[in-house]
Amino acid sequence: MTPNGAVLFGFLVIAGALIARDLGSLAVILAIALIFALGSRERIWSALAWSGGIVLPLALFMALVWIGIVGRAPAEIAANTEGSRTAAAFFVAIICLRLFIIAFAIQAASLHFAGWTPLRFVGALSAPPVVKKLLVLTLSLIETILQAVDRARTALIAAGLITRRHSWRNLRHGWILVQTVWLTVVTIAIGRTRDKWPIEDTLGRLDGALASNTPRLNSADFAWTALAIAGAAAALGLR
Amino acid sequence: MSEFIAGPNFSGRSAALMAWLRERAPAFFVGSYAEAALSGLSSTVADEIAVYRAPKPKRAAFAPLDFVAYSARKPPTLSGGEQVLLALHCFSLSDYASIAIDTALEQLDHENRERALAYLSQGAANGFTTAVIDNRLACPPGWSSRQFTSISSEFACDLATIQPPRCAAPVLGVQQLSFRYPGGRGIFRNADVSLAPGRAYRLTGPNGAGKTTLFKLLAGVLSPTKGELTLNGASYAPWRSGNRVFALATQNPDHQWCGATLAEDLARRRAALARHSVSLPSDGELLALVACLGIRSLDQHLYELPLVARKRLSWLWPLAGAMPWIMLDEPTLGQDRGTRAALADAIGRLTSQGYGAVFVTHDDEFAARIAHKPLRLARESIVS
Repeated sequence: MTPNGAVLFGFLVIAGALIARDLGSLAVILAIALIFALGSRERIWSALAWSGGIVLPLALFMALVWIGIVGRAPAEIAANTEGSRTAAAFFVAIICLRLFIIAFAIQAASLHFAGWTPLRFVGALSAPPVVKKLLVLTLSLIETILQAVDRARTALIAAGLITRRHSWRNLRHGWILVQTVWLTVVTIAIGRTRDKWPIEDTLGRLDGALASNTPRLNSADFAWTALAIAGAAAALGLR
Repeated sequence: MSEFIAGPNFSGRSAALMAWLRERAPAFFVGSYAEAALSGLSSTVADEIAVYRAPKPKRAAFAPLDFVAYSARKPPTLSGGEQVLLALHCFSLSDYASIAIDTALEQLDHENRERALAYLSQGAANGFTTAVIDNRLACPPGWSSRQFTSISSEFACDLATIQPPRCAAPVLGVQQLSFRYPGGRGIFRNADVSLAPGRAYRLTGPNGAGKTTLFKLLAGVLSPTKGELTLNGASYAPWRSGNRVFALATQNPDHQWCGATLAEDLARRRAALARHSVSLPSDGELLALVACLGIRSLDQHLYELPLVARKRLSWLWPLAGAMPWIMLDEPTLGQDRGTRAALADAIGRLTSQGYGAVFVTHDDEFAARIAHKPLRLARESIVS
């Protein structure tokens, strides 16, 4: 599979999840995403756990509001009918399953490229060079923020302002962590953009690093894309 | 021809180095710390190499480490010395014709430093020119030298007047300590050591051996997978209760600020340590100490200071005498000979007053000036 094929497949699965209006259609799309993940021949448990972890806070909040407090589905409110908590539960399940599928499709696509570096993946995408560079710069910014978080945690824990483990002190001083991270990100960015990048023309080197002779799409891409289209069509038909 | 730029801090060396680079741009630059040594465009070591690798490298690769084994690691998680070695490796694979290094070689252990200098000295044969600033190096044979002598008085520092109060530091015990980074290699396995107060200990080991990791464990930034620390025999777990014993000066000074200005940093530390009944010197005393380090006002914005001045300011907490043990990670990076000697003498005064000190340095001249016992990291243990 190529990165272009993975992006296309992910786009189609997400589109299918957005089109689907009931649990049956969503189950079809989820099954396709699961087959796709298993097709990577990597362990999929961490992908499932990550996706579940992303959805869990929203699921808890929506369950509390719609099932616990409101007790009716939005469609029932619009139709001004009495409604039931069961309908509200179906509504919450559909929204959360849709979000889970979107998160899992992205995770499943990344499983297919487990051995690839981010630069190789971006390089193999069929996109204009400026878009590829922007993607690399976005990843660079994310890495810089993570690096800054590590630095700021080191400083604040060593000084006793926050603790390694969860604590009320961490909540109280959370804003100091945010301030320190921000100052660190700015310092790192200035260090790079003032001296290193202009003198080396580092960004210019990306043109060569992002050049790739990977084919745009291959036969595996077409097979997965056909499956995703079938799933989206089924979701449309089941509406 | 390779060029050696010599002189004390704030004499204009770095400006001269940047001018040398601009004349030859595009050229490769290795700054003092990671953000100026690595590209910042890569999420893995393999990508960092890919950014710089020329389609057809024209010279022999400089490969003091097995970078294939490092390929999946994030560059910022490498130790300071490893990052410099990675930068030099990337340069050797690139098509740049010039490289300038601003004090970064000071982070390398003796063996890697010799390798790096040998490689840079063969620039003519390999088709590149070099300019280097290094506080521990005399001009290598065959290199041209530019000497700077005038010194700006703006950040002049005077450590000779610093006299810490007496202290009764506890005996520090490390018992059966084990640590492994998640998904990474083991750093310590059942390590044992006992450190007496009133002494200085020099922690040695090759780049990446775990020296900084040990400091982070002692300061509570990391928690061990097994084992414990003791103070006078009583259990001490800074990763749970917070650090109240170790004043840490990190290798990169920007790893230790707790505020935007010095006053903000001081106020926050004072409040945090008050919880452990640790009292800091008064603001007046701290201002006098800060002045000794070359900073004139507590309102100084920390991130606007030059790197050399920030590094000096990182010694503030160890020198303030508020905590009984001091830990200094490569304290002399970027510092000229006079300042290094003054810092060594200040550490000597601290230990003679009863403080315990552990320091990491690849600077033998600095270490020789401090009466110390060696502590060596080898095969996941600490050997005294």
